[in-house]
Amino acid sequence: MIISKQKPFDEILEILSGIDNIFVLGCGKCAKKLRTGGEPEVLAMRTKLSDAGKNVVGYGVKSTACTMNSWEEFLDDNDNYDEDGNKNSIKDADAILMMSCGSGLSVISCVSDIPAYPALDTTAIGGVLFDKVVSEQCVMCGQCTIDVFGGICPSTRCPKGMMNGPCGGSEDGICELGNDRECAWKNIDERLDKLHANQSLEIIQKPKDFSKPLK
Amino acid sequence: MIMGFRDKLESGNFVITAEVTPPKGSDLAQLHDDIGYLQGVVDAINVTDNQRAIMRMCPLAVSAIVKNAGCEPIMQLTCRDRNRMALQSDLLGAAGLGIENISIMTGDHPLLGDIPSAKPVYDLDSVQLLQLAGSLQAGVDFSGNALKGAPSFFVGAVSGIDLSGAKLLKFKKKIQTGARFFQTQAVYDVDMFMDFMQMASGINAELNGKQDVKQDIKIIAGIIPLKSTRMARFMNENVPGITVPEHYIERMEKGGAKEGLVIASEIVSRIRDVCNGVHIMTLGSCEKVPEIVDLIGNRPHHN
Repeated sequence: MIISKQKPFDEILEILSGIDNIFVLGCGKCAKKLRTGGEPEVLAMRTKLSDAGKNVVGYGVKSTACTMNSWEEFLDDNDNYDEDGNKNSIKDADAILMMSCGSGLSVISCVSDIPAYPALDTTAIGGVLFDKVVSEQCVMCGQCTIDVFGGICPSTRCPKGMMNGPCGGSEDGICELGNDRECAWKNIDERLDKLHANQSLEIIQKPKDFSKPLK
Repeated sequence: MIMGFRDKLESGNFVITAEVTPPKGSDLAQLHDDIGYLQGVVDAINVTDNQRAIMRMCPLAVSAIVKNAGCEPIMQLTCRDRNRMALQSDLLGAAGLGIENISIMTGDHPLLGDIPSAKPVYDLDSVQLLQLAGSLQAGVDFSGNALKGAPSFFVGAVSGIDLSGAKLLKFKKKIQTGARFFQTQAVYDVDMFMDFMQMASGINAELNGKQDVKQDIKIIAGIIPLKSTRMARFMNENVPGITVPEHYIERMEKGGAKEGLVIASEIVSRIRDVCNGVHIMTLGSCEKVPEIVDLIGNRPHHN
């Protein structure tokens, strides 16, 4: 799941400065689950924008923002009326305010002749564990070796991305960066212990190959 | 003839090292003063690398300045700011400038320093950088390309003294990848240091047995003289790997900064027979180092 969070509203207004006739578009996948871009959030944003003096020409939630198969079909799907009989149309928009991750915005921008603007910041690849959102699960290095570390990715969970950790900065299992962030290497050590696989830690891990994702 | 740092260590002599902090700017006056305090007093001078993630003049340049001034630098090199290309460039640069002693470490995270917005590089970690330093000395770069001239370094690393689990295995990996000397974090708990030395000696023997390493590693104990009880408590709460025992804090309450020096020299006298030297860190006050060295009784003598 792609983790996103809403930008502060003044930042959104700053981004939309001088721009009117806005269509607010959410995403029915990750942003909906995270409550950063589902229907309730889209409606709330519509109200906030109107209260701030913007003309919101319409709103919608795309089932998957990062999947765009037909722009024309998309325009038609979002050219209708709301339950009060008011026009709710993307065709009247000068701007699309995207309440989706950066990927959704990027894909839509590939085909849209209406400029798209971000209402959210995309921060991580995460997931949901026992109904709680967990962030920082993967950094898309393109060369997964997570099994070596008992399923805890050091590139992701260690702020220094150490493959041969830990660094000297952790104290009592808390990361050098503080804020009660647990040292990822303490977690890896404990997990490998449980799996009786601590010998993994004796292997000198090689650096990542940054050419891989680009090849 | 005065023995160099490497020769002195490898021939079993007790060494003393200290640190200079590069300037945060282009003004070299304080640096030259600091070198002046340390000249003839210590065997080698560590040059820190944007320590605590505070941006300063680079250690390559400052190490060259130290060398030009007639002292022997130990160039610290962290993984925080440079990718594997720049790290190799800097190591070759060190060789080109006749800088032999390199101390490799991961480096404090930028979020802790004065440019928190900087991209943390950490392209390599300390073990991988040690390995890379080894490759360069073997005449090849990271990709296996032959070098025109292989540098020769005396490579060291840092270590805490409270090691177990992954931390212990990391210490072992550092030895396996070429660290020949270690400068430890500040020692206050002598029993803990003795345990550490025993453990280090065991690992060394194990690796020698497997022929992973050919020599004994050298351990240089970190010493930070206490200046006040406030400092002691601050370090206990904020500096990972440092624990100042309560009995020293009580002595500091009674005796102040002078007592801090006495405590430091006591620690040194208790550990000097088991380790290979001490690394004196005066947190910027290089002018205090000569007094401490005299208390320890160890001005470098001619050999």
